[in-house]
Amino acid sequence: MRRLAMGFIPLTDAAVLIAAAERGFAMAEGIEIALHKEVSWANIRDKVNVGLLDGAHMLGPLAIASSLGLGHVRVPLVVPLALNLNGSAITLAKSLYAAMGETGADLSTALGAARALGRVVAARKAAGEEPLTFAAVYTFSTHHYLIRHFLAAGGIDPDRDVRLVVIPPPFMAESLRNGLIHGFSVGSPWNSVAVDADVGRIAVLGAEIFGWVPEKVLGVHARFANAEPEVLHRLVRALHAAAAWCEDPANHADLARLLSEPRHLALPAELIRRTLDGRLHTAPGGALRVHPDYLVLHRDGANRPDPDHALWMYSQIVAAHQGDWAPDAAREAISVYRPDIFDAAVGPTPPTPPHAPDCVATQFGAVFDKDAFLATGA
Amino acid sequence: MSNDLLLRIVIVDESPVRAAILSEGLREAGYVNVLRMEGRHNLLERIYAVDPDVILIDLEDPSRDVIEQMLHVSREVKRPVAMFVDQSDGQTIQQAIEAGVASYVVDGLRKDRVRPIVETTISRFRAFARLKAELEEAKSQLEERKLVDRAKGILIKLKGISEEEAYSLLRRTAMNEKKRIVDIAQSIITAAELLR
Repeated sequence: MRRLAMGFIPLTDAAVLIAAAERGFAMAEGIEIALHKEVSWANIRDKVNVGLLDGAHMLGPLAIASSLGLGHVRVPLVVPLALNLNGSAITLAKSLYAAMGETGADLSTALGAARALGRVVAARKAAGEEPLTFAAVYTFSTHHYLIRHFLAAGGIDPDRDVRLVVIPPPFMAESLRNGLIHGFSVGSPWNSVAVDADVGRIAVLGAEIFGWVPEKVLGVHARFANAEPEVLHRLVRALHAAAAWCEDPANHADLARLLSEPRHLALPAELIRRTLDGRLHTAPGGALRVHPDYLVLHRDGANRPDPDHALWMYSQIVAAHQGDWAPDAAREAISVYRPDIFDAAVGPTPPTPPHAPDCVATQFGAVFDKDAFLATGA
Repeated sequence: MSNDLLLRIVIVDESPVRAAILSEGLREAGYVNVLRMEGRHNLLERIYAVDPDVILIDLEDPSRDVIEQMLHVSREVKRPVAMFVDQSDGQTIQQAIEAGVASYVVDGLRKDRVRPIVETTISRFRAFARLKAELEEAKSQLEERKLVDRAKGILIKLKGISEEEAYSLLRRTAMNEKKRIVDIAQSIITAAELLR
């Protein structure tokens, strides 16, 4: 039995890793996963770097940024499996959401909500009021890029018209309540936590902005991937089998209970269940916002890391002024994602259905032009 | 006074005792501008206001991700801030992470000027961890002694034996069963509670 120390942040999409450890999938591959609950993405990165963790539940963009050495010491990471796609949402303060409703825009669509927010921001600017503040959980995160895309679609310049800050997930609801922020973009189940506390309204699901967007991945140090490829294959197989189990609605009740335990998320199972099922209350006990792809844990080849997704994340890093474009860096970013390891471990899998108009299924606004980005960085 | 001793150092640590141990260590080393940030409210704004050269933060503090915003381009930052350690300092990173602390320093500050600060921090964090472990050890010893005393009391009452005999009975049983005296004591207490 090989023992592996694996880090996670308490979020619904740690499901695959937790299920692999606790429902026998790792054991079946001769692996014992010791789960380590961490309090920050920075800790996840640093502990994988120095070898206190063998691997972790990791933000896709963090894996890319660390491998490129952006903003920090370079940590060469390998991503042999995607733990999920999608799964986040944008939650806004009740008063802000009400003001958006008064613009007359249709808030039932994501683009309508973006335009309504654009009008509110413009009106505040005209009145000389303080710019609105929105939070994400980490600078290198899909949540950050998602809210930038959403703001831009509403005619808002994310760098000038609003303030974007970072707040750890457990403090999101509290910060919304005391007015420090006006909204946030965060993974499950923290949107639902804010709704249940009646401090915010879920305005848009992530899948309504990008239909097929990279989110958390299995990240391991290149050192480990190179030294023990066979162990890594077993880990990938275990996670792949766990992901299939997590995706099956018949297992959602058990999975929600498992995740709700104090040593994992320490949140009510019923609330976690809503995020697994993609049926989110937008107000306490009230209207539902439903999306079949709200959180994708396995289906349609979701676990196979798509190098186009790695390139897309790098394009978002460049667009958010977090790193300069360079052809070398683009190649480096692509090479972090390793479908070859996934294939070697799992064997042939059915091809992922194509997504339109780009690899992340952008629903509105600027489309990702892979070839143009590779050629010019734009 | 050397310029290095004027470096502005900010400590982010929710543990007042450890923060005090660290500040004291840094002051002893001659650093005069050491400030502890308490609470999470507007942390970044308060840090900007102090304009520190070095930030030391407890690894178990979720505010690390908040501070890492400063590693990236932002119009709010007065000057760019970067991690102190680079590729060549693998050992220092390792030691700091294992000791449970992370450090951030202003970009451009020479490594050798900051190294003594980081070394002091690592050694003080280790000292605190030792202190805590010793305290917990002492606490658990006290707890164990209480359990053994209760078990002895039960034996004295039930079997009408002396305290010395009760203790030697506990010890013999522990030896025969290859268990610790406190485990035997615990089972006697549990049994007595069940049979009460």
